[in-house]
Amino acid sequence: MNNRIKELRARHNLTQEELARLVNVRRETIVFLEKNRYVPSLKLAYDISKVFALPIEEVFVFAGER
Amino acid sequence: MKKTSIAFLVALLVLATSTWFMSSSGSLPAAEWIQYLVILVLVIFGLWFAFRRLGSARRNEPVEDEMSKRIMTKASSLSYFISLYIWVAVIYIKDRVNIDTEVLIGSGILAMAVVFAVIWVIIYLRGQRNE
Repeated sequence: MNNRIKELRARHNLTQEELARLVNVRRETIVFLEKNRYVPSLKLAYDISKVFALPIEEVFVFAGER
Repeated sequence: MKKTSIAFLVALLVLATSTWFMSSSGSLPAAEWIQYLVILVLVIFGLWFAFRRLGSARRNEPVEDEMSKRIMTKASSLSYFISLYIWVAVIYIKDRVNIDTEVLIGSGILAMAVVFAVIWVIIYLRGQRNE
């Protein structure tokens, strides 16, 4: 699963630390997510999508779908 | 914060007791020095872990989140599974080699700690991708 967190975070002028605080995780988790080294739970995916005001499928993309 | 304090306390207690044991035993064989070095490495790992949590608390971020919990759960379950084989090996060695039971038990416990630390590092570095 790939994601657009880095791109969307830059668009919203958010630092990794700010995004981490908004979704209540460690900054390290955001780093791992952006590098596609961690697949989040449905709840975290939902929380992140909510921050960017986008549906989950526009933030997280299954590799085979693109 | 409570867990972090316990981690600091345990690491310092292990370091103090092993240092006291080594200094009061006089000249020791090389195997004991190796054991002491392994304990030292594990204490450093434990302290790094505790400082990591402390840093998160200072930055007002959760000391544990879903990723750290998932890594810990995976590392614990896998190291437990491997530990079963370690104890089978210890029992096998006990029946064939003339070693003190205390030394064997101590080595087994130490091996369990090493296995957990190594597995935690591997899982952390590999990340948690699609499963």
